[in-house]
Amino acid sequence: MDGTVIRSAALASLLIAAPMVAEAHQLVVFASVDCEAVTVEAKFSNGNPVQQADVRVLDGQNALLVTLPIETDGTVTVPLDSVDHSEGLLIEVDTGSHDNYWIVTPDDIARNCQS
Amino acid sequence: MKVFLRPLLGVWLLVLSATIAGAEDRPRIVAVNYPLQYFAERLLDDTAEVLMPVPADVDPSFWRPSIADISMIQSADLILLNGAGFATWVDRVSLPRSKLTNTAKAFEDQFIVTESITHSHGDGGEHSHEGLASYTWLDPLLASMQAEAVADAIISRGLADAQSVNARLATLQADLAALDQQARASLAGLQGVAMIATHPRYQYLAQRYNLSIISLEWEAGVTPNEAQIADLRALVADSGARVLIWEAAPPAEAREVASGLGLQNVVFSPLAHGPEENDFVGLFSRSLALMSDVSLR
Repeated sequence: MDGTVIRSAALASLLIAAPMVAEAHQLVVFASVDCEAVTVEAKFSNGNPVQQADVRVLDGQNALLVTLPIETDGTVTVPLDSVDHSEGLLIEVDTGSHDNYWIVTPDDIARNCQS
Repeated sequence: MKVFLRPLLGVWLLVLSATIAGAEDRPRIVAVNYPLQYFAERLLDDTAEVLMPVPADVDPSFWRPSIADISMIQSADLILLNGAGFATWVDRVSLPRSKLTNTAKAFEDQFIVTESITHSHGDGGEHSHEGLASYTWLDPLLASMQAEAVADAIISRGLADAQSVNARLATLQADLAALDQQARASLAGLQGVAMIATHPRYQYLAQRYNLSIISLEWEAGVTPNEAQIADLRALVADSGARVLIWEAAPPAEAREVASGLGLQNVVFSPLAHGPEENDFVGLFSRSLALMSDVSLR
């Protein structure tokens, strides 16, 4: 499943509940992956990008590999050759008041690297 | 003796390898909660492996899987989703669309909007997040629709013989219809009786059978603290509630607190996890019987 499909799936699932959301403070995180990097996107449920957050990248044993600051457009790129992704990656986004996560499995990486 | 042992060992190895191969050939179904697992098992009758991977001590609504868990789930032949926002992990992973079934899609117009806990943080004043009540299976008629969605998913993917699945679906739906009939009889006496539930689980049950249930946010199986008891006392005074519904058997001390406030205690398992004894239909029926008993006192 490529990045576009992942993003669509995340937003579609959010849209089911979006009409019910009274306040725009839910944090939505999704990640796309190709052969070179994992691209993390974080937005609030009103569509506004997260501008300040720590993005933690953990391995399959929940060991912290790296912490990166999110860019002002709500994204951050994690080069695959900078982390041990053999067991997949757990991406955690923490704004200080909200947090959320996305899981990237070894199959996600392999599948998107072949496409 | 060695002359006999070698052939016997060979036969044993052949049987073992055939057993393992047979198990690997069976389709694998993953369900996000016990009711969907139960429906799939009833429909497949041991012709498939049906898994609900959430640990017994974890709320399936909010389970946070590991990477290995998701790798296993991604490899399943069918992934059964409850819908109505149940299982928050579903929106945090990539799942193959062709293997997904949202079992509540046919009745999304009947979803109940809830009000979650009010809170505040640095970027504004107090506010709350609306969400959806997600324990849809506690309405037997909605559960029947979910069972049908499971059957359709199994058949459309060729995971089992359609005739067999449809025959088992008819039996399962008959059991769920019987639960509905029992609920109508059991709960009729509780219409108009204000009740309190220790956790917001019973919205669809209340909607179907015209019950008035106010929900707290207590942890299952934990004795309430002083603040919670004070809240309960105020709620009883305000609502005139006469029944307290627990999602799990409470400690004796907690039951005494509730009794002291004039509440009748009843345990109604929400069935998100499989019971240690009995099964979905059996325990649901037992819970309805306990509710009926309360109404007759």
